[in-house]
Amino acid sequence: MTDKLGWLDRFVNSLPNRWWFKLLSKYVVVPFWVWRDPKPKLEGGPRNSPQPSENVQRMMNLIMPLKDKSPLGRAMAALAIAQNVDEIFAGLDNVGTVHTARFLILHDNICMISVYDGDFSNYIRDFIGTVGSVFDGIMELVEGGDALNPTEHHIEEFIDWVHAHDLFQAPDFPTDLFGLQDAAKGLPPNVPAHELMTLPRELILQLHANPNLSLGGGYRAYPGFSAAQVRSKFGVGW
Amino acid sequence: MNKPFNTEDLQGNILRGYTRSLVRHLILEVTDRVAARAFLSASVSGESKDVPTITRETPWVGPGPVACFNIGLTYEGLRALKLSSASLATFPTEFIQGMTKRAPKIGDFGDSAPENWPAPFDRPERVHMVASIYANVMYDLDFVEDQVAKAFNIIGKRDGRGLADGRVFFDYTDSISQPRFAEAHDPKQKYVNEPIDPLGTLLLGYPTSLENLIFRVPSPDALGMNGSFNAFRVLSQNAKGFEDYLSEAADFLLGHKDVDHLLPPGDEAKIGKGLDRRGALREIVAAQFLGRWRNGVPYAASPDTPNPDPEVSLTNFEYDTESRCPVGSHTRRANPRGGKIVQRIANYSRRLVRRGMSYGPDFDPAKPDIDERGLLGNFIGANLGAQFEAVMCDWINLGLQDPDITGSNDPVLGANTKETSWFDLSLNNGRTIRLRGFPRFINTRGGAYTFLPSVPAIEYLSKITG
Repeated sequence: MTDKLGWLDRFVNSLPNRWWFKLLSKYVVVPFWVWRDPKPKLEGGPRNSPQPSENVQRMMNLIMPLKDKSPLGRAMAALAIAQNVDEIFAGLDNVGTVHTARFLILHDNICMISVYDGDFSNYIRDFIGTVGSVFDGIMELVEGGDALNPTEHHIEEFIDWVHAHDLFQAPDFPTDLFGLQDAAKGLPPNVPAHELMTLPRELILQLHANPNLSLGGGYRAYPGFSAAQVRSKFGVGW
Repeated sequence: MNKPFNTEDLQGNILRGYTRSLVRHLILEVTDRVAARAFLSASVSGESKDVPTITRETPWVGPGPVACFNIGLTYEGLRALKLSSASLATFPTEFIQGMTKRAPKIGDFGDSAPENWPAPFDRPERVHMVASIYANVMYDLDFVEDQVAKAFNIIGKRDGRGLADGRVFFDYTDSISQPRFAEAHDPKQKYVNEPIDPLGTLLLGYPTSLENLIFRVPSPDALGMNGSFNAFRVLSQNAKGFEDYLSEAADFLLGHKDVDHLLPPGDEAKIGKGLDRRGALREIVAAQFLGRWRNGVPYAASPDTPNPDPEVSLTNFEYDTESRCPVGSHTRRANPRGGKIVQRIANYSRRLVRRGMSYGPDFDPAKPDIDERGLLGNFIGANLGAQFEAVMCDWINLGLQDPDITGSNDPVLGANTKETSWFDLSLNNGRTIRLRGFPRFINTRGGAYTFLPSVPAIEYLSKITG
């Protein structure tokens, strides 16, 4: 056995950097595979884990497309947040399971990036139960939002909508992607086992179905703790 | 009083339980939808001798029917009856996905994973309906089963019975605390002081305890109104493992420097007549695990003895900050009452109705065996996600409601493993002793999310064509 590659291997490895191959991939190879092996869009948000520390400090990356794709529309979104700052603070405090929440305007989207503990549905339901009016204002401005207003009266649909607009979190172990893709198609995961060499193709096809994603579930500098554990430890009430 | 619903429109096993000693749950597949619909129609009209009549909420005079009969349908069952896709789409996601797809969320992994469930639950796409028969003699169960078999394919059945003194296999008295409703007269709950639950906790179409939140009623109203959802669970209970662990814990505690703060020397007789120190410690661990002594007396109200004098109420007590009932105990996790919890709006908003009967042979602690036995449980509420699943994933497991228990699971019902489990026993000096190394005592062996339709909804389903 030698590590030295033959000419054919060297040629194949160089293909991704050759201009004509990039063109061929973009216009022929990828569209062909998207047609041949379409991937369902993978679900957003963190996945449930039996490991307790995986179920605290979880990330939500909610991307909500604005109806009005102009500076005026973005200004309206900024206003909707600014008018509700007090309610947002009160809501986060009362929900009790949120560490931080940030609102961003990214191009024609209003985004809510937050770190929360426990189950996603409970977080959203408790948030709406506490300060539903905040989201009512935002929903007026985003695509598909009208059908969900007021959110308190459409709580199941709202949770599903948020879930659908929360970014898919690519697994920390790249090969876990295979199992998630199988499960999304209703197939038993990894039966039969996938060839490792197909991983790049599977990833590209998934990026076609999920153009935006989170790379991993977010990295922490220390093991996960709940917001209440942090507050309790520092004596700031929980 | 005036009720917002007609009692003839409600299935009788939702607002109240029956006091029958036997139950048979038939797991049904719809193989002939015309026959199935005709059966449903006759079960509402009660005009056929060959079809059992749906038991209603309307109270009966005298002993009542020899057999009570009620049904629940899965999403696959509604599809098998050819309910329109527009209607199907108005059901909640967790019901559409079904119990097996929600497994990681509700702790059904490892040995409890759906892949390990025995038939018929290994084929969830064939589980269309769960029909439940309640009676006092086996003959009546068999009689109704024969009637059902003429219209459905019976792919499985589970027989349950009430154990003596309302006990379960871990020898606790069960089913003491339940939600209560102004609209349902239940003499057993006359003196209960927990808040009255709004009807929307249990039935679709009414205000809920979550202030302004309204749960979606599946459409049309004839189908959705006055319906409810049920998590039907087959839960095996490892009685031998449980008793063995109590002994292991007692042996550990006997050598612990703080044990006298758990059981002051000389107080053994307060725990039970004739108990030695080891035996008394076993009972204290059992009581702190559950939040009640085995006879049902709440630990919060009587932390020093299961036989307080004067007696204490089994239902009226509170978890205040001084309570010696561990925050991690089962009853306190499942219903924190008015006690302080992290999710401040959730104190009484995740209430659900629990009904169950035991299955399997008797357990004799003197001659312990490992035969399968357990509980056939119904966990009923207007919203599976906001009630059953919310309690299972954040409170029973994970322990998010209090920073002192976060990262631990319910010692009795939780998805524990020996390597990681822990539980803090509370002492009379405010400190704790941590127990470790207990296995999972309750495993899931099957189940299904079902929709419990109102009586008009059953009629609606019977009239679908195509």
